[in-house]
Amino acid sequence: MAANFWTSSHYKHLLEQEDVDMVNTLDKEKGITLEDFKLIKMHMANYILKLAQQVKVRQRVVATAVTYMRRVYTRKSMAEYDPRLVAPTCLYLASKAEESTVQARLLAFYIKKLYADDKYRYEIKDILEMEMKILEALNYYLVVYHPYRSLSPLLQDAGLNDLNMTQLTWGLVNDTYKMDLILVHPPHLIALACIYIASVLRDKDTTAWFEELRVDMNVVKNISMEILDFYESNRMFTEERINVALQKLTLRP
Amino acid sequence: MGDGRWSRAEWLQQYDLLGKIGEGTYGLVFLARTKSPPSKSIAIKKFKQSKDGDGVSPTAIREIMLLREITHENVVKLVNVHINHADMSLYLAFDYAEHDLYEIIRHHRDKLNHSINQYTVKSLLWQLLNGLSYLHSNWMIHRDLKPSNILVMGEGEEHGVIKIADFGLARIYQAPLKPLSDNGVVVTIWYRAPELLLGAKHYTSAVDMWAVGCIFAELLTLKPLFQGAEVKATSNPFQLDQLDKIFKVLGHPTLEKWPSLASLPHWQQDLQHIQGHKYDNTGLYNVVHLSPKSPAYDLLSKMLEYDPRKRITAAQALEHEYFKIEPLPGRNALVPCQLGEKIVNYPTRPVDSSTDLEGTNNLQHSLTVTAVSGNMPGAHGHGRWNELWGYLEATRCSTGPSAATVEKERANGDARISCTAEVKTIIRFSAGRETSGR
Repeated sequence: MAANFWTSSHYKHLLEQEDVDMVNTLDKEKGITLEDFKLIKMHMANYILKLAQQVKVRQRVVATAVTYMRRVYTRKSMAEYDPRLVAPTCLYLASKAEESTVQARLLAFYIKKLYADDKYRYEIKDILEMEMKILEALNYYLVVYHPYRSLSPLLQDAGLNDLNMTQLTWGLVNDTYKMDLILVHPPHLIALACIYIASVLRDKDTTAWFEELRVDMNVVKNISMEILDFYESNRMFTEERINVALQKLTLRP
Repeated sequence: MGDGRWSRAEWLQQYDLLGKIGEGTYGLVFLARTKSPPSKSIAIKKFKQSKDGDGVSPTAIREIMLLREITHENVVKLVNVHINHADMSLYLAFDYAEHDLYEIIRHHRDKLNHSINQYTVKSLLWQLLNGLSYLHSNWMIHRDLKPSNILVMGEGEEHGVIKIADFGLARIYQAPLKPLSDNGVVVTIWYRAPELLLGAKHYTSAVDMWAVGCIFAELLTLKPLFQGAEVKATSNPFQLDQLDKIFKVLGHPTLEKWPSLASLPHWQQDLQHIQGHKYDNTGLYNVVHLSPKSPAYDLLSKMLEYDPRKRITAAQALEHEYFKIEPLPGRNALVPCQLGEKIVNYPTRPVDSSTDLEGTNNLQHSLTVTAVSGNMPGAHGHGRWNELWGYLEATRCSTGPSAATVEKERANGDARISCTAEVKTIIRFSAGRETSGR
């Protein structure tokens, strides 16, 4: 399916930013703001990454898991689908889809290890039940395309495929999963935005190269700005704010 | 969802369940009809909950994942997915196909005692290649094509149309799973390409073309072309007899004709002395009773080319001369357009109405059960799931830092964050274009 992203369900189901930023009514009633919503999703993306590092799966599995989690919350409420269960379950499902199955038992073990907090405490049975609910919520669309794939050919084409640039852009792509970009933009444009930022940072002149690509540079720049905005505001995302947001979910409306 | 009995499941209310039609390691296949008009037949594949308590079987996940992305006239259509939360079972609903190549070939061999007419062979082959060409152009490799996986639609709007089925994951099934010998079904190696038999690690779409070649020959002669005896072992053992059968017909492969042969593990190690063995080349044309100059033979020999890099592709095969000469291939492979050709009435699939969705046998002493499960290779049966993991191999990112190095990268990432304003300014004014950053 590598050949045609353009006929994939991923492409067909790309969303507008407004749709992604819709806080579910049930969550609104609990006082969840758009800011909280984004914060919780970012925190869960981090949680998935931490778990993934424990169970040792590839970055691609992490990326797929985060995408699943973000897709789930365009359709379901956090009040009904507790993010603290959805996050590890998405990693569980993604590990199967990406052919590197992780046992539920192992996940349950590392969940306990990572969080002493009872609110994170979920058992194997909970994960297995949630797996089916997530499959349904995703409407069984499981194939996800990621920016990683186009990254190395693009870097190579631009003559920027040295270790430094590769690592920098790869890191930037990883960070894009802390945002909803993957739900809104085609992955190769996200990859281009990361290359764009990296080339500006490292003072590489890529103007000519970008001009030759037949892509809408305005979109690439907008994605770049969004990523940079994220880095700016990232400093204000404290543990405390995340906890306050998560706490709202457990409160009665 | 009630007390978990399937009969109470809401989704099931839309179907009339007729009975079991197949069985494999993954679970059972049932025949049902939709209640709402226009009523149509549906094959429902039930996946067992994996025994080790690990949720939805990865095989099912992969099959759903792939089938959800593809639509083609010659590929089986997934019409619905159902979940029974109570007992955590998963059901895939497909458009039902009355026939498959296994049963069609068997009917000609054992009942009719005459070969399949040329029009039907050519039409079946063309449609098979057409579906395969679509899959390959989408980076999917089926990896386990065999007659029982190739369905043919029964009477109706799509009569005689081929549907490639069984998109699972044989890789998972190479791990020790329950052998299928229980119900007389033997997982076959007969359609496996020589590079795989010699231990190639990388699959290409050429493995499917080899299988198509074997199936083409079988359609012509009604007998499997290379019937090797399988070595049973837990993880992918060396299948000497299968190679032996191939070499006997096609002759010994040579490094001259197949340069990458030298790099294949089993050839390199050569523990069974396959290199030294001398074979008399029987001649493929003798086996399939074709003139060496006929287009049919030319196409077949190109499908059975040893070197996977030289083997004909599905797209190339569709352009072959064989399909341009009379009789021309048609959409309804079972009913020839020309008058005078006899129309064969193929038997319908046996349905075991004594087995419910739980797989429980309702009739204690039913004879039907033995009759069906005894020799039911089935549309979705023949046990082993086949797979399509190739495209994932193709799309997997194998380079780039691991998660751990990435984390390190992030730690240094503060530098990026601290100069965002500067970078933004540059971006805003670069190339002289205004952008509206959020």
